Formats: sequence, C-alpha cells, structure tokens
Amino acid sequence: MRSDTRVIKLILAGWLIAIVGIQIFVYLLMANYSALLLDELTFFNLPIHFWLTGQFLPLWFIILCVLFNFWMDRNAAKAGSLDGSLRFRVKSASREED
Amino acid sequence: MIDGTVQVLPLAIVVGLLALFIISGLRHRARKQWEYGLSGVYTGRIGIGAAIASNWMSAASFLGLAGMFYLKGYYAMAFVVGWTGGYVLLLVLMATQIRRFGKFSASDFVGFRYESDTARTLAAFILIIITIIYSVAQFRGIALLVSWLFGIAYFQAVIVGALLLVSFVVVSGALGVTQNQKLQYFVLIFTFILPLMLLTRKLGYFWILPQFGYGAAIGDLHKLGFAWSEPFVNTTLFQWLALCFTLMFGTAGLPHVLSRFYAVPGIRDARWGVVWGLFFIALIYWSAPAYGVLARLFEVRNSIPFNVGDGQAADMVVLSAASLAGLPVWVIGLLAAGGISAAFSASAALLLSGAASFSYDIYPHLIRPDATESDKLFAAKGFFLILAAIVTLLALKPWGMIAEIAAFAFALAGNTIFPAFLLGIWWSRANSAGVISGMLTGVVITFTPLLIGDALPLLSRLLPVTSSAFIGAPLVMIVMVVVSRLTAPPSEDMRRFLARNVHGCTEN
Repeated sequence: MRSDTRVIKLILAGWLIAIVGIQIFVYLLMANYSALLLDELTFFNLPIHFWLTGQFLPLWFIILCVLFNFWMDRNAAKAGSLDGSLRFRVKSASREED
Repeated sequence: MIDGTVQVLPLAIVVGLLALFIISGLRHRARKQWEYGLSGVYTGRIGIGAAIASNWMSAASFLGLAGMFYLKGYYAMAFVVGWTGGYVLLLVLMATQIRRFGKFSASDFVGFRYESDTARTLAAFILIIITIIYSVAQFRGIALLVSWLFGIAYFQAVIVGALLLVSFVVVSGALGVTQNQKLQYFVLIFTFILPLMLLTRKLGYFWILPQFGYGAAIGDLHKLGFAWSEPFVNTTLFQWLALCFTLMFGTAGLPHVLSRFYAVPGIRDARWGVVWGLFFIALIYWSAPAYGVLARLFEVRNSIPFNVGDGQAADMVVLSAASLAGLPVWVIGLLAAGGISAAFSASAALLLSGAASFSYDIYPHLIRPDATESDKLFAAKGFFLILAAIVTLLALKPWGMIAEIAAFAFALAGNTIFPAFLLGIWWSRANSAGVISGMLTGVVITFTPLLIGDALPLLSRLLPVTSSAFIGAPLVMIVMVVVSRLTAPPSEDMRRFLARNVHGCTEN
C-alpha cells in the first residue's frame, strides 16, 4: 500500500510538473523574447509551444500511464495482491439488495 | 452553409454509417433487461480502450475542438491537455479502486461509500444535470450538421436532429442493439483522419502525418500577417491553467467516463484499457488542431473575412475547411457522418446513463419504493424521452460553442463528483455529511458565475464559467474535510472495507 502511494505521488508529480512547467516555459519565452522567436523555434515542423503542449503532453500522459501499469503489474505479481486475481461480473444494485 | 438544398450523397453516407452500427450491434444483443443503458461489449484491453475512446468521442471532440482552435488559437490547447491529462488522474487515483467497489453507477458508488441515501440521490440529481448540459453541446453539434445536410435553419434542425436521435435510440433499443464500440471508434477515426490527410495534401504540406504537417501552415499564416497562434495574448496563464485543470477534474468525474470502469471484467484490464483509450483519444487530439489552422489558412488565401463572433461557423470549421479546399463531396460526407455518429453515440450514452440514474437511484427511492425491475425499465425509457425533450429545448438557444458548453458540464462534474470520488476512495474519514455539503458547495460554485457573474467581475475572473473547478474542486474538498471532521466518522465496517478491499491491505 505504501509503495503504491509512493508511485502514485511520483506519477502525479510528473503529470503536474509537465503541465505547469511547460506553460510557464512558454509564458516566459513569450514574455522575455517574442512571438516571432516562439514561431521560429520549431520541432517536428510545429512551433515549439504547439509541439510541447499539443503533441508532447498527451504522449507524456500515455508514457506515465504505461509506467504506472507496468509497476502495478510487477507489484501485483510480487505481492499476489487483489490486482492480479480479482475478476468478477458486476451485479445490479437491486440484485445485490435481493 | 445553409442553401436550402439537401446534401444527398453526404446524407446517404450518414444513413449508411448509422445502419452499419445498427447491423453490427445486432450481433451483440443486450443480455438482460437491467443492463438498459449500461451494457457494453468488451473484447480484451484494446477493445476496452476502443470502448473508452468511442464513448468519449463526441461532437465536442469531433467538431468543437477544431472550432476552438480556429477562433482562439493556442488557448484551445487547454482542451487537448485537459481532455487527455484527466485520464492520468482517472487511472492512478480511481480506475482500479472504483472497480474494487463493484458498484454499478456513480450514484450507486456514492450511496454505498458514504452509507447515505441522501448522498446517493443528490449525486443522481447532479449526474442528471451534467447529462443535460453535456447533451446540449451534442445536440448543438447534431443540429449544425443536420442544418447543413438538409439545408434548413438551426431552429428546425435542432428538432429534426432530436427526432432522429430519439428514433435511432428507440430503433436500436427495440431491436436489442448493443453498441459495437470497437467498430465505432475505428470508423470515427477513419472519418476524421482521412479527410485531414486529403486536406493537407491539397495544400502541399506533409500529408502522410498531417498531425505534424499542419505546422508549416502555421508558419505560412504568420507570413501572411496572422499571428493568432501566439500564446497568452488574449488570455492569461491563469485562464489557460484554470480551463485545463477544470477539464481534467471533470474528466475524472463524468458519469459516462466513470461508468466504463464498473463493468470491465478485470482490474488489470481496466488499467490497460485506460492506456489504450488514452492513445486512441490522443490520435484525435493530435489531429484536431490541424482543421482549425487549415481552415484559417484557406480563408486568408481566399480573402474570406474572419468573424470572431461567429460561433456557429467556428463549430462547423471541420466541414467548411474541407469544403473550401474543394475536396470531393463524399469526403465532406464522411466528416459529416463521423460528426453525427460521434454526437449520436455520446448523446445516446449520456441520456441513457441519465435515465438509468433516474430509474435506479431516484425512482425507487423517492417515487415508488416497491418498483419492480420492469417498472424501473419503464421509468428509464420514459425519463429518456423527458431528458431528450429538455435538452432539445435548451439546445434551441445554446449559450456558447460546443466545446464551451461541454466545458461547463466538466466544471460541474469536477466540482461535485470528482471530489466525492477522490476523498471517498482515498480518505476513510470522509462521511455523508461531508460529501453532501461538498457536492452542494460544488453546485453553488459552478452555477454562481453563470447566474450572477456579470454583477461580480472578480468572481467571474476567479471562477470562469467554463473553468471553475480549478479553484472550485479544492474548495469543495476543504468543505468536505472540515464538515467530515466536525461530524461522526463513517462506520467501522466501511473503514475496514476501504482498508481491506479497496486499498488491499490489512488494518494497522
């Protein structure tokens, strides 16, 4: 449980820093230099701010999710926890009440 | 784009696509009556991912996002980040744990976790309001497309579109059709990407991967004197982050998104399904900005004046870009068919989910305690029609663009359901008094800027209508914590259940 929480915190830190950090970086580039420079800095054909925000961040989210899942799978296999073994069908609330 | 003529070929493609979904769905008939509105077909992790993505794809993704890019440039990137980043929250904080509760709907979860019928009923009411707001965005998308397909005015198109949607759901229901979401997703992505490739090719950009090819178009727009892609020119960093985080919190609190995790067969499948779902969703969001950019470029090249206040034109920019480029009419038909399918699918899922909330959480608890399963099914069908009528009326005069209306629904979900789930899963001290106060505070925070925002400019700046959950969700959590601390803790059984069954550890 404690190690789960530690990994979740790390993933969330990676998620938050990337989102806020990239926007602050773009904001500072814009404020300290100029929009012209921002558009001259290109990556994969796109202005750097478009690439970082529109292309990289969704990709980063996928990477974070994959890392989290690999860790959870490995941890579940080691601990033989609920994660690996629990498979069940959902029942409706009314059926459960019955 | 209203010229009074019926677009015959695009209309035929739309009808053909909907027929394809019905025929394919007939192979997966609903198994039990009680699954009304909540059933689904799951075939492995990619299948779950496709179901998540197909469920997610709506008029807001298919039409609204490109429209926002067309009008607001970089600001619209907050939608891309918000609508993808929310899945990280969903995966690490909720997906696995929700599945471990083994409940059937969001209100079911709230009622069980907080051991309160009042909290359950309040959650059900909020879910229905979210459904209505989000469906208005879908109905606006449907109406705009129907208006173009039949050459009729928006007002008539809302009614025709609503009738078509209800007929589609009724026919599907009568035939026992279950959504084949895997097929649906791959058809939608095809109808979105192929026209974009053709569009990019027509302009001479790198068309094999138009997601990168449109970058050169941004440079060309700049050379022509249009610097609309500059960040934080007309909006502040705070507004951008507020919208982005509101959409993320809302993503992790939307009923039809959460519902994907109650019914998957295994926890590990649920987790990997989120990854595939996020990848499939990202494919759309990597592409959507291109439509907005290319439409602007076509307009500039053809000296078409840009009208910043024309939200309807912006919401139709996906179609108008293809039309301006002179692409064959069947390509525009594909786009229209994809847009209608996405909006139909999202509206049907939402309205059925709202109807299920009513029939399972409100009807047997507040209206008819002795209701049988068939009574509930009847109530669900009746409430579906009532919901459709309410949404139709609201869609006649929508207050914003498709993406803006959708964002308002996300704000409500982020201010109410998200904190209820987050603390419900991760803080065993959260109790019924806390969640009820929290959800009511969330409703007030969401609607206050809309109702009296003009009179209180500071409030509107701190809690923008479409972005209130950035500050609102933490405030709601504080209210929940304070009220929970001041009132009796949850039962020992619930705390033990959370420790053993949800977080997989013994009590210490």
